[in-house]
Amino acid sequence: MLNMTPEQFTTEFEEIRRQLKSYILRITASIADTEDIVQDTYIKALEKLETFRGDSTLKTWLFTIASNHAKDNLRAKKRWVENVTDLSREAALSDPTFFQESMRIRMTSPQGQFEIKEHIAFCFTCIGKSLPLEQQICLLLKEIYDFKVREIAVILELTEPMVKYHLHTGRTTMVSIFDGRCALINKQGVCDQCSELNGIFNPKQKIQEELVKIEMAREAGNADKERLFDLRMEVVRGIDPFESNAAELQLHHLEHNSKVMEKYLEKNPM
Amino acid sequence: MTINHAIPNGKAVTIRTTFSRETSIRIDIKSTPAVVWALLTNAPDYPRWNPSVIFIEGIIAPGEKIKLKSALDPKRTFKLRVQEFEPQQKLVWGDGQGSRTYTLSDNKKGITTFSMVEKIGGFMFPLYAKYIPPFDASFEQFASGLKKEAEAIINTK
Repeated sequence: MLNMTPEQFTTEFEEIRRQLKSYILRITASIADTEDIVQDTYIKALEKLETFRGDSTLKTWLFTIASNHAKDNLRAKKRWVENVTDLSREAALSDPTFFQESMRIRMTSPQGQFEIKEHIAFCFTCIGKSLPLEQQICLLLKEIYDFKVREIAVILELTEPMVKYHLHTGRTTMVSIFDGRCALINKQGVCDQCSELNGIFNPKQKIQEELVKIEMAREAGNADKERLFDLRMEVVRGIDPFESNAAELQLHHLEHNSKVMEKYLEKNPM
Repeated sequence: MTINHAIPNGKAVTIRTTFSRETSIRIDIKSTPAVVWALLTNAPDYPRWNPSVIFIEGIIAPGEKIKLKSALDPKRTFKLRVQEFEPQQKLVWGDGQGSRTYTLSDNKKGITTFSMVEKIGGFMFPLYAKYIPPFDASFEQFASGLKKEAEAIINTK
């Protein structure tokens, strides 16, 4: 039995908090729900501190508690659709207040920059919500938060073969979606939002000069779909959606997409 | 569960009588029954790994009705009912004209033996049998697709 004092636990929790927050945001796409779940995770872990025996790492244990809260939060909610970015774009174009607020953030916030990498990470969050929840969570835990299959099995109370099933199925689906949609990696891709928004928010930048800075875009003509997805994951791993230079702008976009999805799924039950 | 080991691994076999036709296939898959079962029971995911299926709509669960469109006969949509559902062991679906049985056997050496049998027939069978295309190639596609996918999954790092 580990004897961790509440003070020691709190110190360690604070070191993991940032990762927990970004993880829960990527699952829920809601800032308010993220704050609640992270707080609930802290409280619950503190209450159950005596039961933590060190069989797993503290990080695994905390992610287990947080994942359970997130799953409860999303139990009654529908999954998003693959073309969320198309639907959200249409809604934004017909809502003048959306871009007014975006520009206000862009002009006034220290976290209001627009960077293509940030939008790649944002897009991954949105499209990840179209996967079945177990697939999305397994993919996040493995690809972004660096857990091993056996740790993910502990977090989600699944067998390792089933974790592998969700990982493989989720990843294959995402590779296929991005191959069809993302114009950064496929000239026939239907979504060009990264370049389009960069043109709006950074009109003086030359898009090709910006794209060449991103390895995923540079490799688009040469690498296979799996390699391009790995490069996409590298981009996402490097972004903290709450702390980055574009955080406020991207969180505004995420809130917008959430509202669009809520309305869309009400009208189009699946 | 009884698996007919007389059927060669991965090769479809068809037995015809006047009033029925039965096609079978058996294949050894280096994966767990849980993974194979997860693939067999995830309806929307079929087209991704199974070239013989265009789509399956519905939920593959006990008593549920599903709609299936096969690459073998793309003009038809089959309305089927899940008749038996024993997790990681046996799945049966069918309609009035026939049923398809999937059976999994765990040989405990990291190999799952998958078998699939479809029997169609009845009194009127002789009148329409010639209009039903052979299932053999479709069965072999199904089995090899399932094997490839289940083995890729278990080898995920």
